[in-house]
Amino acid sequence: MPREAEPSLNERQFVLQALRENLRLDGRPFDKYRPVELIFGEQYGVVEVSFGKTKILAKTSAELTVPYVDRPLDGIFTIATELSPMTAPSFEVNRPTETEVLLSRLLEKTVRRSGALDTESLCLVAGQKCWSVRVDVHVLSHDGDLTDAACLAVVAALRHFRKPDTSIEGGLLTVYTPAEREPVPLSWLHSPFCVTWSFYGDQGEMALLDATLSEEHVRVGSCTISMNRHGEICQIAKLGGTPVDAVALLQCTNVALVKVKDFSAFLDRKLAEDAKRRDKGGLMAELSAENDR
Amino acid sequence: MASTQHVLLSPAELAYLHSSLSQTPPIRPDGRTATQFRPLVAETGILPGTNGSARICFADGTEAIVGVKAEVEATGRQEEEGDEEGEGGSGNGNGNGSDWVEMSVEIPGVRDDDSGTAFLAAMLSEAVVADGGLVGRLRINGRFHWKLYLDILLISPPLSYPLPLLSLTTHLALLATRLPRLKSEGDEDPFFDDDWAAATYLYPRGEKRTRRPPVTLLVMAVGKNIIFDPSKEELAVADVTLAVSVGEESKPDSEKQKRGRRLKLVAVRTVDPPSRLTPPGVPNAVNAAYGAGGRQKQTGPRPVEPEAVEGVWRAPRGGAKPVVMAALVQKTLEAGGVADEVLDALDGVDLG
Amino acid sequence: MPLDTSAYSLALLRVDGRRWNELRRIHAQIRTQAAADGSSYLEMGHTKVMCVVTGPSEPGPKRGGMTGGVGGGGGERSSTADVSVSVVIAGFSSVDRKRRGRGDKRTLELQSTISSALAASLHTHLHPNSTIAISLHVLSQDGSLLAALINAATLACIDAGIPMTDYVVACTAGSTSTYAANDEGADPLLDMNHQEEQELPSLTVATLGSSDRVAVLVCESRVQVSRLEGMLAVGVDGCKQVREILDRVVREKGRRMIQEGTIEKGMSLDDMDID
Repeated sequence: MPREAEPSLNERQFVLQALRENLRLDGRPFDKYRPVELIFGEQYGVVEVSFGKTKILAKTSAELTVPYVDRPLDGIFTIATELSPMTAPSFEVNRPTETEVLLSRLLEKTVRRSGALDTESLCLVAGQKCWSVRVDVHVLSHDGDLTDAACLAVVAALRHFRKPDTSIEGGLLTVYTPAEREPVPLSWLHSPFCVTWSFYGDQGEMALLDATLSEEHVRVGSCTISMNRHGEICQIAKLGGTPVDAVALLQCTNVALVKVKDFSAFLDRKLAEDAKRRDKGGLMAELSAENDR
Repeated sequence: MASTQHVLLSPAELAYLHSSLSQTPPIRPDGRTATQFRPLVAETGILPGTNGSARICFADGTEAIVGVKAEVEATGRQEEEGDEEGEGGSGNGNGNGSDWVEMSVEIPGVRDDDSGTAFLAAMLSEAVVADGGLVGRLRINGRFHWKLYLDILLISPPLSYPLPLLSLTTHLALLATRLPRLKSEGDEDPFFDDDWAAATYLYPRGEKRTRRPPVTLLVMAVGKNIIFDPSKEELAVADVTLAVSVGEESKPDSEKQKRGRRLKLVAVRTVDPPSRLTPPGVPNAVNAAYGAGGRQKQTGPRPVEPEAVEGVWRAPRGGAKPVVMAALVQKTLEAGGVADEVLDALDGVDLG
Repeated sequence: MPLDTSAYSLALLRVDGRRWNELRRIHAQIRTQAAADGSSYLEMGHTKVMCVVTGPSEPGPKRGGMTGGVGGGGGERSSTADVSVSVVIAGFSSVDRKRRGRGDKRTLELQSTISSALAASLHTHLHPNSTIAISLHVLSQDGSLLAALINAATLACIDAGIPMTDYVVACTAGSTSTYAANDEGADPLLDMNHQEEQELPSLTVATLGSSDRVAVLVCESRVQVSRLEGMLAVGVDGCKQVREILDRVVREKGRRMIQEGTIEKGMSLDDMDID
């Protein structure tokens, strides 16, 4: 089993000493994200998110299937995360590492269990037909803070996605091709985002946002807070690590709320831009009686 | 299947152990007699959330907990769909009703699909199902039956081959298992009395007591001696090891007054003791597994097998004689023998 | 099965009759198992867990994958001891029998959390190149599972005599109204049972001893951010109570062992020699 290369003692101390002098290697303030980029693909539901060198591709797909026996009124919604050897040699296919398990659990709790997607709306015929929506998360390049980037990618991909329109007449289910009817967006309830803090120092007194990979290697603990812009916590995960003062954690939560609002506004803006771009030569524009003089 | 990992004993230690166990009477490292069981502490009904549960702690510190859960299942559906869960250790697929009992064994630090664990689960469930009678009692009516889930947990690290421990714990848990009393009649959808005090025992007791679940005992032979409940070190020098499952037969009326019980043999399996594995450090040239025996056409001089030297351990070769096998089983089953004694002891456990 | 939360506002009593700041009965035992280096048994209400610690010892034969539990503090040839945790949730532990395989992500997350929380407070640097194997068995579940597992693991580590900074103690806290109802009068609750965990927002908090320093904070339900402070405060306070209880158990056992003299100790040493 290949193991991740650990940073040398020199690297370790260099990063830590710099942090003690309030410096990060890339010159950012402690509570600032790297430049966030978000590019929508040609297809609906494909999005590429990058935080500095961390790059994540999320792709949404939907197919018709039979609902689970124990949940006949709910559609199926799954998030699949894959860390392939392409990301780093220490990741192997079909052998989930701890990073991967924790990442997929976090996404699961943040997006799925918080009810961001209305799964009941995915059900077409109770107990017989429903949509199965699946988001595949591919980590293309790993330079720290996978969780936040992956969460943004998943939420963006799901909100960008359009599923084929359907109708039921007299028990007959019709699925329309995009040419027949414009595909419809998913029924989306709220947009949760993850904000991950990394802690440093003996008492975990220094807290960093958006740690890079080398910073993640030397951290003594981390805490991922998922919230939506209404200030609802969807999930908090501080899974062990050096104990951190409770008051400091509350402070982290408050900063996280600000960041989540930023993410939310950023995504709304990007989605609006994309919608405008797609709309330009669309069918609706062609049929419009208005002419732009 | 190797029953335990290699014990780290030198050839001299193994030889010493072997010769002291071959004495008449045998001298065991812990001073027990050949037929003596390790002392144990047992309790039942420890988990109110189960239909039946038991815990046994052997004096060497190994400890096991068994919980029994029963669920109502429609009969017939199972045959069509097959066993969906397909867990390692379910006794499925051997005859009618055997998939009504599902067993799983958890041993710390061992994968649940490990061959050793699967073998243990198979041995245990085989005995329980083969005893007959049990499956009949799980029937509710023509359309429904109880499905029993037995979860066997070994709590302590596996210091000795856990088969006897797990089997005795399972035995007690099954004895303590109660099923809610049926209130519905005929083939209608079953409904039950929700008064737990009225629940009936899976294995009826008192006057109506007929049978009890089988126990599986570990017996080994060293030289001429037959030794019960061997420890890990003793297994390392066993000539042959058997897992013998013993059930109790209901007595014909004529013998009702007589004391004692009629024992019957339910199942026998041979267990590969580690003594049969090639110990570490044996060169490939003399290792039978590498074909040392079959390479006689070889031109060079055949590597000379080391002579049996007094005080140096040599693994036993070849199978066990039928006489020895028969003696092992015979010794287990005889009236007043070990199985009898163990069942007597388990009778003494308060079933709460 | 919606929980009737309206009853709370009338009598200020919860479904099992507790007040908002009451813990359930905690019953703990240490040294329950003669063959292990350290062992414990812990009940928090109807949640029952058992823990067995082996080590610090030389790492055993390397097993592939994540089957042997998740390693916490570095790998082989490390300067610190490796804390590997395995959690077995017995099939009979919940009301409906449900068997989880070893690949279950929730179990893996539990293992990783416990391992990482303990690795930070155990003095692992005193035992380089060794493994502390913690094996946890869940016998019965009624809420606060992670908290019970952490407490049991702490007790067993103490029994095993592994040096540590302080107890890592955990408990759960919740809030009386669901996230949707944004009422200001919501009371925080201490020590959630299964039914409350299903219906109400809750979080698990583990602190280092009686300090305010939080080692583990896990919240898996939606809750208003304003509610967090109250819940966290109650949780941290609950941890202090739990620490008192666990400390009493350890001291009581120590006192009894001294009273009984070294006999018991000598016996267990002999047992170890045979192995």
